[in-house]
Amino acid sequence: MAFHDQNHKNGNLSKKPKLCISPITDAEIQSEFSHHDPNIARLNNGAFGCCPSSVLAAQHELQLKFLRQPDHFYFNYLKKGILHSRTIIKELVNAQHLDEISIVDNASTATTIVLQQASWAFHEGKFNKGDAVVMLHYAYGSVKKAIEAYVTRAGGRVIEVPLAFPVNSEDDIIREFRHALEKAKSEGSNTKVRLAVIDHVTSMPSMVIPVKELVKICREEGVEQVFVDAAHAIGCTPRVDMQEIGADFYASNMHKWFFCPPSVAFIYARKSVNSVDLHHPIVSHQYRNGLAIESSWIGNRDYSSQLVVPAVMEFVNRFEGGIEGIKKRNHDCVVEMGEMLVEAWGTHLGTPHHMSASMVMVGLPPSLRIMNDCDAINLRTHLREFFGVEVPIYFRDGGEVGCVSGYARISYQVYNKVDDYYKFRDAINKLVSDGFTCALLSTSTNGSLLY
Amino acid sequence: MDNHHSQNGAVYSTEQKNHRDAKKPKLTHFISDSELRHEFSHHQTGVARINNGSFGSCPRSVLAAQNSWQLSFLQQPDDFFFNKLRNGILDSRLIIKDLINADDVEDISLVDNATTAAAIVLQQIGRNFASGEFCKNDTVIIFHCAYQAVKKSIEAYVTSVGGSVIEVQLPFPVNSNEEIITEFKKGLERGKVNGGRVRLAIIDHITSMPSVVIPVRELIRVCREEEVDQVFVDGAHAIGSLKVDVKEIGADFYVSNLYKWLFSPPSVAFMYCDKKVENVHHPVVAHEYGKGLAAESAWVGMRDYSPQLVVPTILEFVNRFEGGIDGIMKRNHEMVVKMGIMLKEAWGTNLGSPPEMCASMIMVGLPSKLRVMSDDDALRLRFYLRVYHAIEVPVYYQGLRNGERVPRDKDGFITGYVRISHQVYNTVEDYDRLKTAIIQLLEDGKVCSELPKE
Repeated sequence: MAFHDQNHKNGNLSKKPKLCISPITDAEIQSEFSHHDPNIARLNNGAFGCCPSSVLAAQHELQLKFLRQPDHFYFNYLKKGILHSRTIIKELVNAQHLDEISIVDNASTATTIVLQQASWAFHEGKFNKGDAVVMLHYAYGSVKKAIEAYVTRAGGRVIEVPLAFPVNSEDDIIREFRHALEKAKSEGSNTKVRLAVIDHVTSMPSMVIPVKELVKICREEGVEQVFVDAAHAIGCTPRVDMQEIGADFYASNMHKWFFCPPSVAFIYARKSVNSVDLHHPIVSHQYRNGLAIESSWIGNRDYSSQLVVPAVMEFVNRFEGGIEGIKKRNHDCVVEMGEMLVEAWGTHLGTPHHMSASMVMVGLPPSLRIMNDCDAINLRTHLREFFGVEVPIYFRDGGEVGCVSGYARISYQVYNKVDDYYKFRDAINKLVSDGFTCALLSTSTNGSLLY
Repeated sequence: MDNHHSQNGAVYSTEQKNHRDAKKPKLTHFISDSELRHEFSHHQTGVARINNGSFGSCPRSVLAAQNSWQLSFLQQPDDFFFNKLRNGILDSRLIIKDLINADDVEDISLVDNATTAAAIVLQQIGRNFASGEFCKNDTVIIFHCAYQAVKKSIEAYVTSVGGSVIEVQLPFPVNSNEEIITEFKKGLERGKVNGGRVRLAIIDHITSMPSVVIPVRELIRVCREEEVDQVFVDGAHAIGSLKVDVKEIGADFYVSNLYKWLFSPPSVAFMYCDKKVENVHHPVVAHEYGKGLAAESAWVGMRDYSPQLVVPTILEFVNRFEGGIDGIMKRNHEMVVKMGIMLKEAWGTNLGSPPEMCASMIMVGLPSKLRVMSDDDALRLRFYLRVYHAIEVPVYYQGLRNGERVPRDKDGFITGYVRISHQVYNTVEDYDRLKTAIIQLLEDGKVCSELPKE
């Protein structure tokens, strides 16, 4: 699949500069992430991401600039800075028009923007009551809530595409998706599928979805709008290319895998004949000037995380191959570490290599007896508090007794070391050899299905 | 800090009639002049910063606390999220609850800014119009000088679904509360024509431009008498500027930014919702949807929540001043009035409101000879003052309206005003510089339209 070297279609702003100096060294990388807690094996980059000190320093400079003379900053600097960031992103993702790129806080905000528009369409009668919105069974928890808030409440019908896990091939997903769309069309005589919400990389369990193929199916089946929730994608999956993927809306967080500070995301909205009006829910002075301009001023706040994208580009371009090189090495390493763990524990991976990007699902030994979501959360807490390992655990329902019922989602980012994964391997081995089961853990009061 | 405010060596008084916050530690001395200067030493030197009202200010000690929280997140974000964030936000909300005399911390949510709160309130109204629960004749009433972002939000969520808006003219310059109450009552009458109901009144506690303190308690009393459904007080400037007692004020919604006058970093605001309010949710839907606005606002997806976490440190900061936040407010008010009077006497002009109708900001008339004849002129003057005199102050153009008594100076009608602010870091020199710059312009015979454009 797509981890081979690809032609870099991106333009000047993200082109890797000719390196007359050698690429960033190991020691420099460790220094860039020296603020990370050294006692923790940090295997959960997928949840909260990371930000190198050089980017944090750039952000700090901007914050200070604002504090020093805020009026001057607002009038003379802010707008330019956001425009610069948007221009870089446009080239990174191969959008055609700058207007198509807006910067928002996070994928949750982007989801609200797309779904709010759908909600209006229901209210205005553009969509009929009973028209459907399709989403994947493994759509992110808060996206499901947003669909409830903005679609179900407005009279829309929600269709979930069932997905199997462990998954063996993309064909399984493609088949289920096509089947769900056909079923939707046959169920209601006049109902249409107005919107499909498709993850590029699901969160839990994590797998890379063949979005390009699914978008094609949507077009064939007459789905009106396609929104790709790509929260993890940029800096993680290959081929984040708006022309290739072909969706109407695409949103990705930049603080997960693209080294931005919390928090910043971009939302892409294709300019076409059928373009709909998107609006930021926080309405301010720039209302009706287009989503990108609206999003650039949603009241007074700290916009510094949106302004450091140039500094982030400088950082990634210190690596051999730039962001593409980083993605490839992350993938190779996470797969290697995943295989090392499954061999040590006698389990299996939840997804094939080509359906993992910088994260992979690793089966945990059945003897741990992870029986429900609560066990998964408690085990995660136990690993953090007693072993200094940070890794999210997924409970897979429906397995037989004695089978793998829990998976760890391990991430690999540039700051990770092999020792991090050995630490995890050894922690689980110890638990197993001690006869530990999740039943021994008390109910966590910090229960949350946040990944 | 001005000399006659420093009270070094005074023993801290335990009698604090208006303080409702946590008991203060016994201090042996109040913040000194040099400590205060250090706290704001990151402000651009050489600038007369008399626009605290727009972007606020944040002292070093609060910034340091914010950095600490940010570092805690960066070091181990999962641990931060699971073990620190929620309690941190709760601590901040508890302090706010005491500050504003609310009964229940569940009624207090933290959001980014007043603009966000406006979206929350107006989305709720919009849903009721869209569902048909409100009818086309129903209205929302606002002041004509309501903040532009709020007006846009009304356009997005109310007029777009068939609701109407009544704008009440704010008399300006204003002489008394009665003038405002009279206009407001007339507005309510207009709202009830055609049998419609007034579904929401949006009342500024302190208007932005022109800036005046509005008699909110009285206006809300009138609203209740006239059966207005809900009242939303946009107190963007209020907290840290004047006393905010939500029980006394009696609004359904009250929002105030903490970063303007209460020393928080950008940006955070509190939003108070009365218990009887239903059907509000944060527009950014995430995991906590349906659990109440406070819980929803505490997690709107991944972002930097550090501004919401520093309220305890802010309290420590303000308690280093004599009288705490009450003392700060009192002195800011006295100084801004004093400086306003100094300027108007030097220029031969007027104040936009009597002293009792302003808090930490006041509108001072500009000499008519400058000929501020449009918004563009006002912007040119602001730009000129920033670039050529390193003075930061917003300028307001008040168009002439037929039938109103417009104040005059010796040369003509006064149509331009500056909005001066006073915060703890200001000095008399800041205002002297403004006085001189304007006088210089007059002596040079310049008018606004001749000034360079940005």
